[in-house]
Amino acid sequence: MKSLSLAFQVYLAFIKKSFQRRMQYRVANLVGLTTNFFFLLVHIFVYTAFYAARTVPQPLSLNEIITYFVLCQVSFMLMPLWGTRSEVTSAIKDGSVALQLTKPVDFQAYWFADECGRACYYLLMRGFPTFLISILFFEVTIPQQPTVLVAFTVSMMLAIFMSNAITITIFSSGFWTLDTTGIPGMSYSIITLFSGMLVPIALWPEWLAHIARWLPFEGLIDIPFSIYLGKITGIEVWIAIGKQMGWNLFFIGLGRFLLTRGFSRLVIQGG
Amino acid sequence: MHHLSLYFHFVKLRIRSQMEYRLSFVFDFFAQVSISVIDFFMIALLFNRFKELAGWSLWEVGFLYGMIGICFALAEMVGRGFDVFQRHIVRGDFDTVLIRPLGTFFQVFSHEFLLRRLGRIAQALVVFLIANSQITISWSLTKVGYLLISLVSGTCFFVGLFVIGATSCFWTVQSIEIINIFTNGGVFMGSYPFSIYRWWFRHFFTFIVPLACVNYFPALFLLEKIGSSGGSPIGVLLAPCAGFLFLGITMLFWRWGVLHYQSTGH
Repeated sequence: MKSLSLAFQVYLAFIKKSFQRRMQYRVANLVGLTTNFFFLLVHIFVYTAFYAARTVPQPLSLNEIITYFVLCQVSFMLMPLWGTRSEVTSAIKDGSVALQLTKPVDFQAYWFADECGRACYYLLMRGFPTFLISILFFEVTIPQQPTVLVAFTVSMMLAIFMSNAITITIFSSGFWTLDTTGIPGMSYSIITLFSGMLVPIALWPEWLAHIARWLPFEGLIDIPFSIYLGKITGIEVWIAIGKQMGWNLFFIGLGRFLLTRGFSRLVIQGG
Repeated sequence: MHHLSLYFHFVKLRIRSQMEYRLSFVFDFFAQVSISVIDFFMIALLFNRFKELAGWSLWEVGFLYGMIGICFALAEMVGRGFDVFQRHIVRGDFDTVLIRPLGTFFQVFSHEFLLRRLGRIAQALVVFLIANSQITISWSLTKVGYLLISLVSGTCFFVGLFVIGATSCFWTVQSIEIINIFTNGGVFMGSYPFSIYRWWFRHFFTFIVPLACVNYFPALFLLEKIGSSGGSPIGVLLAPCAGFLFLGITMLFWRWGVLHYQSTGH
């Protein structure tokens, strides 16, 4: 029990460190916020124009779409492959990962903690301000039932965890390719598409939406936001969250496997 | 003339050095293609559901998308030197640029050439060509000439944005990346007809940052949409000048910025 609480403290310290490192870039954060708003604004213009011509009711109302994209901007930086990477991730490329491997901690957990710190930072410094300002300017739906909020919070946390686990898995491939643009680049487009980050899955044609349901990436964006909007209710909430948990375990396992194999053939780049 | 041959010599060197990392090049090429394919696929998905956008069909929007995509990728390919300029300031390399017997603008411009943007250019070109085959445009010599000028003008516009970003590094040292709003954001918003935006937004991106002048207005002329989607004939014909003018102004800004350069030292 004592060793468990000690381990907890160690990783908590890593999370804190990772958070604090980012606090120094205040101007960058302000610029990032502006960028968030710009893209949000263009999305809203585009969807407003699309909706203006339609008389047939859509699966999501315009207000719900706006809310969806506000949430997207809130969590953009939390998604895998978006924004600047955590220190450990860049360390694989420049070779300083060798130094980090000497730390007497579980490497994957350490990396995970590092990513969590990054996520906390972006949630607090980028996500919340984006959300608060959006409420002032746009008609953002806010769920009325507390159960929805609870389910959303749980689902969102699972989404962030999964994002970290995916990041670790993808960048572990760097041990083989020694190149950190190719595979991440290709994964990026698949994740961007199937998470529902660009167009909500509810608006997709049936066949494509069906594919998305069998892939893990809807758990990053579409599942938590659909719960928020009340599009997933009752027993389906449990199924959706269960899916997220399952995929989380899958990616943590895969990442672990790749890391163990990767270390056994580790080539350190640079000096 | 001397500059031109020197430029091509430099470009050859850049290409050769990039081809050294062949696997990385191939990976990146396909990553570029897949990212931009998804990009347009999403627009197609929206049209699949909504059929039209403010009187524009999917392939008319594809025409806009292709044009701006080509311009931006070309600009990234040739204007890379300004895009990554902050490195020179951070490291203090700009000192060496100052003592060489060539203009600073030319040196930074010719310093980089990003061959891998070919993937993005190819994808945008494919969308543009498909769009052409799907909508009937009565091409004439005037229109082809006008299109080419518009494309060059659009490229100049984006290079101009990179120059602004680079010049601001003379004061901020680190790039503040605010220019990304206009480059990446510009490509995103330029892929849709301007008439869907609010007036203040439209005016800003016509008169201050002339994005509409190098993309939307030329497309109006080429698609013969003048009148139905806004714009006056003479204004539309002159619009592509804005890209060249914009680059000219940013070059002046660059000159002024160089005067304010303080070395970070070695």
